[in-house]
Amino acid sequence: MKQQCAMALLQDAASRIDPPAVMRWRDEGRPVLGTTCSFVPAEILYAAGVLPIRLRGLAARGSSIGDAYFGPFICSFPKCLLELAGSGSFRFLDGVVITPGCDAMRRLHECWRKAGEDIPGIVPGFFHYFDVPHKTEGHGFSWFIDEMKVLVEKMSSHFNVKITDEDLSSAISLYDEGRRLYETLEGFLLEDGPRLSGTEVLASAIAGSVLPREDYNQLMRQAVEEAMSRPPADECLIRLVVAGSVDDTLDLFRLIESRGKALVVGETLCFGSRFASNSIQASEDPLRGIAGHYLVSSTCPRMFGGYAERLHRLLDLVRSRRADGVILQNIRFCDMHGSENGLMARDLKRMGIPALRIEREYGPLADTGRINLRVDAFLEQIAAKRLTIKRVESTASAASRAAAEV
Amino acid sequence: MRFVAGCDVGSLTTKAVIMEDGRIRASAIIKSRPIPADSASAVIEDVLRAAALKLDKIAFTVGTGYGRDKMPFADKAVSEIQCHARAARWFVPGARTVIDIGGQDAKEILMDPDGSILQFVTNDKCAAGTGRFLEVMAKVLGVSLTELGAMSRRARAPVVLASTCTVWAQADVIQYIHSGKDPADIGAGIDSAMAKRVATLAGSVKPAPEICLTGGVAKNQGVAMVLERLLGMKVAPFRKADPQLAGAIGAALLAREAVSGSRQAGI
Repeated sequence: MKQQCAMALLQDAASRIDPPAVMRWRDEGRPVLGTTCSFVPAEILYAAGVLPIRLRGLAARGSSIGDAYFGPFICSFPKCLLELAGSGSFRFLDGVVITPGCDAMRRLHECWRKAGEDIPGIVPGFFHYFDVPHKTEGHGFSWFIDEMKVLVEKMSSHFNVKITDEDLSSAISLYDEGRRLYETLEGFLLEDGPRLSGTEVLASAIAGSVLPREDYNQLMRQAVEEAMSRPPADECLIRLVVAGSVDDTLDLFRLIESRGKALVVGETLCFGSRFASNSIQASEDPLRGIAGHYLVSSTCPRMFGGYAERLHRLLDLVRSRRADGVILQNIRFCDMHGSENGLMARDLKRMGIPALRIEREYGPLADTGRINLRVDAFLEQIAAKRLTIKRVESTASAASRAAAEV
Repeated sequence: MRFVAGCDVGSLTTKAVIMEDGRIRASAIIKSRPIPADSASAVIEDVLRAAALKLDKIAFTVGTGYGRDKMPFADKAVSEIQCHARAARWFVPGARTVIDIGGQDAKEILMDPDGSILQFVTNDKCAAGTGRFLEVMAKVLGVSLTELGAMSRRARAPVVLASTCTVWAQADVIQYIHSGKDPADIGAGIDSAMAKRVATLAGSVKPAPEICLTGGVAKNQGVAMVLERLLGMKVAPFRKADPQLAGAIGAALLAREAVSGSRQAGI
């Protein structure tokens, strides 16, 4: 019973902007900071005794505030974040760290401040812009370390704490334990008969971006046990990888898997494996280790000159997870993923890997009918391809049997 | 049992077809109701009545359209992409490209010479390039959809609509009416704007001849004429059935294949 609760609690945490564990942390008088990007090193915040939570727009039910400050032709994700900020849903936060993950997210910093002039009390006391370079080597790497040092300094001063290397190393160990547990859970998707769904695995990743790490690790240990105790399914589902824009809700994965035809066996999403997996390499200087993890191992298309490597990683994922196809999704007006998905679709097609591009709005899946149609048609295409291969194999095998008899 | 059925619950209309040995025995089209299951039940009653059959005589039913998963009587749900592709080959055996323009969406499908789907695209969440665009414009002009389609042939100097956005185009049309333009020229401009939008979408699948136009808008001669010119290839005419029934016909053809076990690709 206890084990069953773990998976449900992870899904619950993934479905709310203010999970009970976060509120408990705050009620104990400890600060909570919202972050907007997978490039913000959670370990630094945690080492300061601050709970870092990824800001999500999933509770937004409109965009009147977002539209007023951002304008119409921009990704709806930062607009939903501003909508929630403007309507007071983030008032429980003690601070926010905003990065230029993309230009729309960079503008969130300006728009939030501007909205704060009109709507009193929505800009928290600690409001920090954390710059992230677009290159990983040389100067870019040093710059990122400098940015982290500034963050440490500002947080130490604002929250009156001292962040030592020991604190950082301890936070790294704690976060890495969660990453290893996530990779164990994700590993169940490698099995032919899956024990859990891609939606459940994504939920565990999203939950990791909001829950206090000790709570998360505990739940993940239980979730792994729960997954092990489940019998493997005997269905032969179509195996898909999902890539592209930020997705902090479970709706899209649920939609893909809800008909019982497909299983999402991997993803490269900002709220998914991009943040949740890959342990930090041990280093004498903890900040260097953190920089190596966040800056260098990211698959975010905001980084310059890394397309070939990102494509290679996607192909590795497709091969290692034995995926039948890839869904490349992006939020409307997402320049980075919109253009990268075009290149990816072209290259996957050249390699004979079925790929479906979906452009969608962020938020409750109002567009469900159209996305459903595309996903269904894509699955039918893959099913037809499988059938053709099966027929060819069966004909070839019959021919070789006949030849042997002759 | 030799009867199979296809049911297509669309956003504006719901269609059903009963086929007997590969020929259409009966068909029905009704306005869609708020609940897809109600639309499906109502249209299947109509088509059974028209065919003088009872439901238990239908060997297999395939459902398609936005309400495809909500049909209590359907044996299988298949996407409209698959159904329109299948119907297009039945309408035009050499078809490689399908352009389906329905009430609220538009789809372009590219097939290989065997009829397997190579690629497909659908419109974004926008009324431009869909039947809804024509419906709004026809209302502004005060003509029926059929009349709107016939206007292009009478036009002498078709107007140009600056935008294919339904709201802005509507403002343009009102402006042209007020300035005393010939309604036929305005109608031709509307058809042309519609066709341009669809041709742009079609361009992304690199259409190959022959092109089969399906869906309710296929009845609009003006749109078909401009599409031919823009795409530089003939839009194959077909006379076997109402193109608005294409989704339901494709569903019935797939139902037939499911019964005979002849193909079953994708279902």
